[in-house]
Amino acid sequence: MEIASSFWRAISVYRIASLAYAALLLAGAGGYQRPVLGWLVMGVMALWTAATTFAYSIARGRSLLMIDMLVTMGCLLASPYVQGADAGPAGVMPVTATWIGAPVLAWAVYGGRRAGVVAAVVLSMGDLWLRGLRGFDLSVHVNGAVLLVLAGAVVGHVARLTKQAEERLQRAVEMEAAGRERERLARGIHDSVLQVLAMVQRRGLEIGGEAAELGRLAGEQEAALREMIRSEPVAAGYKDAGLVDVGALLRRYGSATVTVSTPATPLLLRAERARDLAAAVGAALDNVRRHCEEGTRAWVFAEGDAESVTVTVRDDGPGIPAGRLAEAEAEGRLGVAQSIRGRVAGLGGTAGFVSVPGQGTEVELTVPAPAQAAADLQWPL
Amino acid sequence: MNALRVMVVDDHPMWRDAVARDLGEARYDVVATTGEGRQALRVAAAVRPDVVILDLRLPDLPGVEVARGLAACEHPPRVLVLSASGEQEDVLEAVKAGASGYLVKSAGREEFLDAVRRTAEGEPVFTPGLAGLVLGEYRRLAVQTPADDGPRLTDRETEVLRLVAKGLSYKQIAERLVLSHRTVQNHVQNTLNKLQLHNRVELVRYAIERGLDET
Repeated sequence: MEIASSFWRAISVYRIASLAYAALLLAGAGGYQRPVLGWLVMGVMALWTAATTFAYSIARGRSLLMIDMLVTMGCLLASPYVQGADAGPAGVMPVTATWIGAPVLAWAVYGGRRAGVVAAVVLSMGDLWLRGLRGFDLSVHVNGAVLLVLAGAVVGHVARLTKQAEERLQRAVEMEAAGRERERLARGIHDSVLQVLAMVQRRGLEIGGEAAELGRLAGEQEAALREMIRSEPVAAGYKDAGLVDVGALLRRYGSATVTVSTPATPLLLRAERARDLAAAVGAALDNVRRHCEEGTRAWVFAEGDAESVTVTVRDDGPGIPAGRLAEAEAEGRLGVAQSIRGRVAGLGGTAGFVSVPGQGTEVELTVPAPAQAAADLQWPL
Repeated sequence: MNALRVMVVDDHPMWRDAVARDLGEARYDVVATTGEGRQALRVAAAVRPDVVILDLRLPDLPGVEVARGLAACEHPPRVLVLSASGEQEDVLEAVKAGASGYLVKSAGREEFLDAVRRTAEGEPVFTPGLAGLVLGEYRRLAVQTPADDGPRLTDRETEVLRLVAKGLSYKQIAERLVLSHRTVQNHVQNTLNKLQLHNRVELVRYAIERGLDET
């Protein structure tokens, strides 16, 4: 329900309460000088209260606001005929009492601050005219007039602000819906693109030759796109804590020759540590590319427990002959292996090299991860 | 020998046809193809395939639900998940629900046909990716469930799974650990069975709790 209609309901409530107050005053004063006329005015007020309650709920417009003002002014100006000519200057409240505030509120809600003030000034002039009766004596109390103007200004202002807020909210809701729709369409398109890329890769490798190269390229793009659109876990609250899922970083290395295996749950490390570890894995993969013949396959396997994250990079290349590694290390020319070891040592971790003849070379990188335990606890399932 | 009866569930016509053609050429009997999950469950109940090749991304029903439904069939077929989405959680759930293997769509034709053959023989298709997921799941369960509840891996099983995740073949693992090929296979099979059993127990427990609450 729009907020504006609650303003209009509030005005109706105000009108009814004011009507009851005016009727009490009239009854209390014994009908003033002309009770019949007094109750006649009260009847008109009651009818108008009922009419506006109904009218403002279905159609609001300038003409209705104008008639509202005229009827109210008419009732106000009937006061001297009911109360006697000297009641006004003597400080007696007019027959309409606080009922004259209603059109001011209506104008303010409909037209904003300025309209509210205009209505308040018009009715105040009528009120003051009654008090100074035909002479516009400005020495009389103007409390009522000031309060009326204030009400017109404040309510008008608030009503305008509310209207703007409502419009903005509406726009935001529409934009969100449009964004969701776009996302839904994009998901379908992405999935189709993934399927086609995977198909090109598969067929390309079957056909061989140049097609195999095309297939390999398609496969790399498929892996990249797949990782990009992989839906983020709903409870990715760890991002706020400056943590990053190492698994997600590693999956980007996946290709036709590199297989990446990770748990389904995130392996969390502080952002810069995660990037350093991923960079070390990247260096190990580069090493495989450089030193093994083309088409050598590699596997990246990440695992984690309460204390650490371990990533193993294995290739199915020729391997390093036994003793060769220690020999090279002793001679101080271990190259890439040394740089990987250095990077991991910088993270407070260790790097181990294993080479089994006929089973390629394995590099095992382990870094401490105190954050991992907390991640296990917050992961829902 | 009768040809193995295979059903292909994939919403992408291009893939459905390519997979069916490959299977046909390899002398499998492709008894049904469909692109929708609910239809897949109805058809599977009627044609009773031996193996179902299942894509996890279907328009009407999550692939995990289809895997669960197939496992509940009167004659449950063996399920090989063939997915391009690479959604780790979905793959893990499908395997826990009873699928016995997982292969990415980018896998080559030979690899695919080999996986179908092994699935038909009841052997789990344990790609390195799946081994990584299963190890991670056991680690998660070790943290989240008390020691006497929930499944645990033996040291040997962990060792075997880690080697699978690193891309070693069963033969290489057998050589490295000085075991027979058959033993390595058994270890791998056990890790999966324990996980699926635990999943079923959890489902029953959940159903009982709900049932008790309602009465």
